[in-house]
Formats: sequence, structure tokens, C-alpha cells
Amino acid sequence: MSALRSCQRALQVRAVGRSLVSARSMATDSQSAPPAKATDDKQIEHAPPRDIVAADLVSGAPAELRHRAVRIFQYSRSTTQSGDAKSSRWRIDWDILPGGGRWENPLMGWASSADYMQGTRIGFRTKEDAIHFAEKQGWDYYVQQPEVKVRPVKNYAENYLYRPNKLRIIRTK
Amino acid sequence: MLRLVSASKPASAALLIKVAPSTSLAGRRTFASTSARQADITLTVDGKEVTVPQGSALIQACEAAGSTVPRFCYHDRLAIAGNCRMCLVEVERSPKPVASCAMPAMPGAKVWTNSPLVHEAREGVMEFLLANHPLDCPICDQGGECDLQDQSMRYGADRTRFHEITGKRAVEDKDLGPLVKTSMNRCIQCTRCVRFANEVAGVEELGTTGRGNDMQIGMYVEKTMNSELSGNVVDLCPVGALTSKPYAFHARPWELKHTDSVDVMDAVGSNIRVDSRGVSVMRVQPRPNDDVNEEWISDKTRYAYDGLRFQRLTVPLIKQGDRFVSASWEDALAAIADGLRASGAQGDEIQAVAGHLADTESMVALKDLINRLGSDNLTLDSVGGHAAPVHAVDVRSNYLFNATLPGVEQADCILLVGTNPRHEAAVLNSRIRKSWMHTTLEVGLIGERVDTTYGYDYLGADAKAVADFVAGKSEFAKKFKSAKKPLIIVGSAVTEHADGAAVYNALAKYVEQNKSQLVTPEWNGFAVLQRVASRPAAYEMGFVPSRKASQTKPKFIYLLNADEADPKSIPRDAFVVYQGHHGDLGAQLADVCLPGAAYTEKGMTWVNTEGRAQMGRAAVPPPGASREDWKIIRALSELVDAPLPYDDVLSLRDRMWEISPTLVRYDTLESTSVEAALAGLKTLAAGTANAKVSGAPFVKPISNFYQTDPISRASVTMAHCTRAFVKGENYGFSELSSKPEAAYA
Ligand code: SF4
Ligand code: FES
Repeated sequence: MSALRSCQRALQVRAVGRSLVSARSMATDSQSAPPAKATDDKQIEHAPPRDIVAADLVSGAPAELRHRAVRIFQYSRSTTQSGDAKSSRWRIDWDILPGGGRWENPLMGWASSADYMQGTRIGFRTKEDAIHFAEKQGWDYYVQQPEVKVRPVKNYAENYLYRPNKLRIIRTK
Repeated sequence: MLRLVSASKPASAALLIKVAPSTSLAGRRTFASTSARQADITLTVDGKEVTVPQGSALIQACEAAGSTVPRFCYHDRLAIAGNCRMCLVEVERSPKPVASCAMPAMPGAKVWTNSPLVHEAREGVMEFLLANHPLDCPICDQGGECDLQDQSMRYGADRTRFHEITGKRAVEDKDLGPLVKTSMNRCIQCTRCVRFANEVAGVEELGTTGRGNDMQIGMYVEKTMNSELSGNVVDLCPVGALTSKPYAFHARPWELKHTDSVDVMDAVGSNIRVDSRGVSVMRVQPRPNDDVNEEWISDKTRYAYDGLRFQRLTVPLIKQGDRFVSASWEDALAAIADGLRASGAQGDEIQAVAGHLADTESMVALKDLINRLGSDNLTLDSVGGHAAPVHAVDVRSNYLFNATLPGVEQADCILLVGTNPRHEAAVLNSRIRKSWMHTTLEVGLIGERVDTTYGYDYLGADAKAVADFVAGKSEFAKKFKSAKKPLIIVGSAVTEHADGAAVYNALAKYVEQNKSQLVTPEWNGFAVLQRVASRPAAYEMGFVPSRKASQTKPKFIYLLNADEADPKSIPRDAFVVYQGHHGDLGAQLADVCLPGAAYTEKGMTWVNTEGRAQMGRAAVPPPGASREDWKIIRALSELVDAPLPYDDVLSLRDRMWEISPTLVRYDTLESTSVEAALAGLKTLAAGTANAKVSGAPFVKPISNFYQTDPISRASVTMAHCTRAFVKGENYGFSELSSKPEAAYA
């Protein structure tokens, strides 16, 4: 335990430094992006550094994993169904590998893969949890904006609304 | 009376915040006229208090409270029909269960969505629905993503009391064209498809005949469903009555890997979900995003994916004599370096052409490379693309869709100039139609006469009509002057037209004069509708030639996804490189072909016509030896002794941030301030001041909606659509579906 602590202390600086780099280059999260003002041309301030435990040291995950950006996102609602069951959790998954990601196996015609993360998806309750996890693991991440929802008010009576102008809709229902 | 109210789910609190209609509606004018009263009401759903805007349907209140109400006919984006009865809920002091979609939410009402009465009622409804529904889930394409399947598992009974000797109802299948497959026995008559066709797509021929058990859905006469949005009825249909013909029996939903991405078939940047299995894309589905495409995508977006399998460039090719020989990457890149040297191209004689499907990263890399080689000859793959566009690229608001896509619904008077949004941005067109139907929106059109799915005042075909409009000569021009939120939509083809400069000049002056309505802090009514996915990003990064460069005859030409180039514009002795994913026109012209990745195979940035940067995502690996496009250019830069300073995509995006931060501020819109927009219009007017008018009429730039880029030209489905809808021929599927055995499929 104490060994872990000491690595933690030793690595904190490195981890924080890296997360800043990732925050700059991967700032896809529009929610947190400050609205740009025309007059304000000052440098956008970095988020204050947080304590990040460098868990990747002891996680046993292959070091190559650190070179792959992860995506933090919510499942979008499927348009073929009305339910939105899976869309409240946040997930982390990996981009496919361009070369060895998948190929057709010449023996069976099935898909083979050299990518050990291709079937992995991690679920979180909140976006912050997911970000925290990615930072702990030392992964570059980007956050995909959740679905933008605007629900106009609907009313059955609108079907029978009187419109004084020329009729613009022909209902064949 | 004792009631059992189910404990609220932990997720419901989050749902409430997410959906809360009262907040999301603030500042937006909805199209429904009854929603003008913005007062809120409070009611209790399943023991939880919820506040919704007055006039909401009860089902919306239940949804806001986090209680799921099963439904078949109700859909958030269609008018309420109230004919499936699946959404029954119990309301206090109501003797019977009520259909929550057809019932307005009342202040102080107490609603239960999960009581024994509700369950019994839903079970009864389910029994009726299933009385005539065939039991063919194992061979039905909807299986696994079927509302009827799921809801009968949850609410249905385990047996039926209908044992008719005559069997179940049989309905003849309809032939709706090469995209939508019908199996009308399965129809539960929810009429979602009819309402979609009436309200969104503008196909008024799809409708119902008969009533009760004999009701049928169809086109009344033997006719195909000719709409560029018709694929959406496949999603809307809650059962398997309408399924996708090209996708029929190809995959099951649970085998598919979903990848959220962005569409590149037009410049709307529709959000899509690419469903893949193994190494191939099986289908493309829309991803709801109210800021962009709502829930719809066009048929080209949805069905052109099979073009990704044909005509692909998979290995680098070098031309020897009159044929291509495959080569290794090293040889191909070395051949280009040699070719560049041998051609003797210096400075502006090195030309780069960015085509329709070039992603932002690769265009930035190519621009940097060409600039490093001492050239400014950055050309766009369009008519007149060899010169800088008339609107210049210095001010963003001069070439972007400033009104934003959802903003179109706020306009009360729209002038379309030289554009047919139905084919250039089908999803945007449905927004105009929605607004036109529900408000008193007036539309005027200058350009070629087209069927827009909404009525318009025709003002003329050429630049003279624009001048007349500016002078206020027509009835429509007067209406436009007095409109509160007028909107001018200028098509991208205007830039390519001989009179483009004159039109921009006239309109820029008009907008400046009427800035009190057209350019205000809340509203910018001057919008340019781009039709090509790469164009807004190209303008944004300044992928345009300098005046000197545009007059230079190139000796070395680098075609990046450029497949619309006029072969005559390429000098005979020039050394031509084509980089792209399809063996289309551009590859034929090339001396060396480099295989790139298509949009489903790379996670790249796309900027839509509003200037919204969105990140696509790779769903499947690129085939063969093809590589991500920016990497090819990066590798080439080493061989031509102009190495680019970025080694990974993150540092390339840093470079993009240096060029323009908006390129990497994903999913957000940077609106232009009033001052900047007006200054932009001033420079636009000054830059086009002595333009001549030739009087040639505007022609629509897209004559065949289904085939506009290498992917859709390689697609078999799109070829069928061209035959069926553009040429009006028999498209080859109908013999198939009239065979007797096809009725079971
Ligand atoms: S075909 Fe589908 S969408 Fe149309 S009415 Fe029947 S069940 Fe509803
Ligand atoms: S959803 Fe309410 S009646 Fe169909």
C-alpha cells in the first residue's frame, strides 16, 4: 500500500500535466466550453488541477492503451423504437484501430480482430465519473455532447384548429 | 381506495431535468399555435409532482415525470392521432382509463401510469392489436427493435381469445419503390407513416382507405412513394409493416455495432448512427439531434452506404502507359515525389483541389503542404472553384447559414435564391415545410421552378428577378419588407453562376438597408446554404487561391477526393495525383492513385453549413491498404522535403485550432456579432461592386438527388432510386415483389 502511495505522489505531477494537455487538445465538450465573447480575447483559463491518482501504474493495463483516445458518450435513443432505456448512462469506449481493428477471417469468413478493446464498453452513472476514470487511467478522452432535445408542446386539439388562410395541409389519415 | 404507486426509479430524477420542456422551450417560438400561452401547470404523475407548459399532452407530462408510457401512434414530431389506445393511463375521478396522448394535461390532475387498472387496460389493447398481427417475428426484419414485440412482452397476455375460423386479416402488400419494403399484414394502423408523409415529407398520396378492420395503408393507386425522406417511415413504423428493402434479411439489430457519426452526403451534417457488422457497414440510421436533423435523414444519407463496398480503391496505383499497376505505398509516394520533380512545377504551378468528401483534417494538412511547397493554388472542386469565391472567405457570416437550422422555423418570410433546398438539404426542407404548414410563413423563390413540397411565390429565374425583388416590385417583396424575421437563403450554386457577384452585391446592399429586421442581435436573416460537406470547412481555413495563383497554369495537380473536376480543366502535361476512396472520375485522370478512407472509416471533423464542427467516428476499418487521408498527406510531405509538423491527429487538431478555433469547438455554434456581420456585408458589397449581369437563368445544381458524389454513384440502391424516381422507369424490384412467394418474405 505504501509503495502505491509513493508512486502516487511521484506521479501526480505527471498525471496532472498530461490531463491538461488532453483537456486542451480534446476539448470537445461544448457544455464546459466558455461562450466566446467578441470583446474577450484573453487566454482561456485552464481548469484548476485536480488530484488524480495515476491508477494506470498498477492497473496492469497494457501501456499502448495510453496512446488511444477514448470517447465518453451517452447512447442515443434508437429511432426505431420509442423507449429510451439505455440512454441515461454514460459510457467509455475506444475508437477502432484503423489497421488491425478487424478483418475477415479467411477460414470462416467471420470477423477477426487484433484489438482487445473492441468489445469493451464501460458504464458510468455520470459524465464526471467517466472523466474521472479516464483521467485516472491516463487516457486522452473526448466527451460527445448528449442529444439535444427540444420538445414542442403537443395537443390533440391542434388537428381541428381553424386556420383562416388557405388550407396548407391535406390530411389523408 | 388504496392505490399502489410504484416507487420512482432512481434515473427518473435525471430524466426530469433532461426533458423538462419548460426550460428547453424558453426563448423558442414553437410552431404550434396553441402553445403561445406559455403558462406552466403542475400535476402529479405516479405520486411525483411535475410542471409542464400549459397545453401539453398528458403523455408529455408523464414523460417529464420519468414514467414511461407505451405508445404506438404518438410520436413527438407528428400530429397526435390517438388511434392505437396503448397509452392508456388512469386519471383520478375519470371513470375510464384515458388515452394520455389525446388528453391535455390538466392542472392538479392525479395520474397513475402503473396501476392494476392501467395494466389490465393495456393488456386488452394488446389483445386487439395482436388479434390480426401475424406471428412472423422470426422472419421479420423489425424483430429485435420492434415496439410491438417489446410491449407485448411487457403488457400483453399469454393467450388470445380470438380464434376466428377465417384466420387473421390478410392485406395485400404495396409497392412503395426500391427503398421501402411493405408487409402490410403486420400493420397495426397507427398511421404514423401517413402523418409523416402528410406533414413532413409532403407526400399527400400516402393515406388510408376503408375503416375499422378493413383499413389499409397505401398510395391509392399503383405508385411509388417519391420523396427524398421516405426512408424515415421505416423507422417510424412501430412494427415490421414498413422495413428497409436494401437491408432486408441482412442483419439483426443485436448483431450490429453502433457508431455515432456525421453524414457527409450534404452540408447539413445530419447526425447518424452507423451500424456495422464485421468489416462492413450494414445500415445507417438517424441519430436524433434537434439542433441539426431532428430525427430525420434523407434517403441518400440512409441508403447510399452500399456504395462503400463497390468501386473502392484498395491499393496505391501508378499509371504505366494507359493502365494502372498496383504498387506499395513507398513506391507510390516516391513516384509522386519524382513526378513533382519531373513536372518542374514551381510555386503556384503546384495545385491542390479539395473535393466534396474531403475531411477537414486532410484539407488542413494538404493546405499546409502546398503552402510549404511555395504555392497558393488551392482550388475547390466546383464550377469556378479555380478562383476565389465571390463572397470571399474573410468573414464567416458571408458564406455560412447564419440563421441556423432550427432558426429557420422562426422565420416568417423566406426568400430562396438559386436553390432547391429539397435536394440540397432535404432535412432543412422539411423544417421549412413544417413551419409553412403551421404558421403563416410565406416563401418566395428565385431560380429554376422546382417542387419544394410547400407553396411559394415564383419571382423569376435570373439576376434580374433579384434586382426586382430588391427594388420591391413584387407583392412578395412588400411582404418581405414588413416581415418581422425575414430570411434570405442563397444557394451555393449562386456563387458558381456567372451572375453570382451581381446577386451577392444586390442582396448584401438589401440586407444592409434592412438591417433592423435582417441583422439584429437575435436574428441574422442572411443565410448561405452550402450543399457540399467539405465546403464550409474549406472556406473556414481559407482553402482558396490567391488572385495570381488562380491564373497560373498548373503542372502538378493534387486531387483530394475531387471527382467533379472537369477533365478539360486539367492540362495534358500535368502530373496528377488522386487521393480518395472511390475509383470515380478523379481516379481516371490520375497518374498516381492513393487509396484513402471513406467517411465511415475515419474519425474526422466535418463542418456543416451553419459552421457547426462535428466529429465523425470510424465504424469499420478502411479496406485493403487504404489509410486515413491526413496520414497519407503527412507521409507524402516527408518525401517531397516539406515535412509537416504534426505526427498525430491531436497535434493536427491543435493546428486547426490555430487556424480557426471554431474548427475544433465541436457541436457548438459561434454566432457572428451584428457589427462583424454588417462589416462583412459591406466588404461583400464593395468586393462585388462592378459586377456585370449576364441575365442567364439560375439552374438547380442537383438534377439527380440520388447520385451526387462517388459513394452514391457507386451505390446500387441509389441507381435503383434514380431509375424509379428520377427517370420514372420500372426499377427492377417490382417483378420480384409481385411473385407469389415474395408475399411471405
Ligand atoms: S404501416 Fe406501420 S407506420 Fe404505417 S400505419 Fe401501419 S403500422 Fe403504422
Ligand atoms: S399513443 Fe395514445 S392512442 Fe396511440
